[in-house]
Amino acid sequence: MGFEQTYPSTLEAADLMLEDLGRFLAANDVMPRNAHLMTLMVSEAFTNAYLHGNQKDPDKRIIVQVRVNESEITADIIDQGKGGLKRIMSKKPAPLLAESGRGIDFIRHFSSSATFSEHEDGGMHVAIVLSRDAVSKTIHD
Amino acid sequence: MEIKVKQEGNIAVLKLAGRLDLASGTTLKQNMKSLFDKDVTMVHLNLAEVEFVNSSGLGTLVSIMKEIRLMKGRLTMSNLASYVQEIFDITQLSHIFEIYATEEEALSSFQAVASN
Repeated sequence: MGFEQTYPSTLEAADLMLEDLGRFLAANDVMPRNAHLMTLMVSEAFTNAYLHGNQKDPDKRIIVQVRVNESEITADIIDQGKGGLKRIMSKKPAPLLAESGRGIDFIRHFSSSATFSEHEDGGMHVAIVLSRDAVSKTIHD
Repeated sequence: MEIKVKQEGNIAVLKLAGRLDLASGTTLKQNMKSLFDKDVTMVHLNLAEVEFVNSSGLGTLVSIMKEIRLMKGRLTMSNLASYVQEIFDITQLSHIFEIYATEEEALSSFQAVASN
C-alpha cells in the first residue's frame, strides 16, 4: 500500500501532512509504536526540507511518499532546494543542550536505515526504512 | 497545540495538548514570554495530553529551560507519555530536565524547595 502527496513549504502543510500520514498508517494497521516512530522521522525530514531545503519558500514543494508491506515501512521525502548533502554527511550528534540540530540524529537513530542523497532535480532526497520489528537504542550509544 | 494556563500560588501551570513541533513551539514560546513579562519564573508543564514531540519541540523546551535558569527560576514537567519520555531518554535530556510522574509531585517539590 502506498501514499504520495505533494505539499507546499508551509507550517500549515506540515500539520496537514502529519494528519494525512496518521490516517494512512492507521488504515494500514501499523502498530502504534511503529506509527509513532515513522511519524517522528517523516516530521523531521519534512522540517528539514521546509527550513534548510526549500528555505520556507511556499512556492517550493515537498513530496512525501510512504509505503507499507509485511516487513517494513518506507518513506521518501524530497524537496526542491539546493541539496545540502555535504552538511548532512558531516553532521555530528547535537550537543546536549542544543536548541536545534537533532532531526537528522533522530532519523538515524530510529530508522532501520536512512539514506540521504541529492535528487536528480537538485533537491534533497531522504529515504527512510523502518523494519516492523525495530528495536531502538540510545542516540549516544 | 492547545495550551491552558492556570496559576497555583506563584507557580504557572501550563497544560499542553497535541503535538509539540516547530509551529506549536513558537506558540509555546509566546505564552512563556507573556509569563516572563509578568515576572513569573516558576513554571510547570503538564504534558499528559502531548502525543508527539519532535526535535523542534524539544529544542523549544531546552530554550525555555535555559531562559528560566538565567532568571533563577525553575521549570518542571510531568505526565510524559511513554513515547515522549523516550525522546528525553535517548537524548539524555531526562537527566537535565526535572521530570515528575504527576503534576501533584512536581508542585509539591516547589513547596519543599521553598520551605528549605
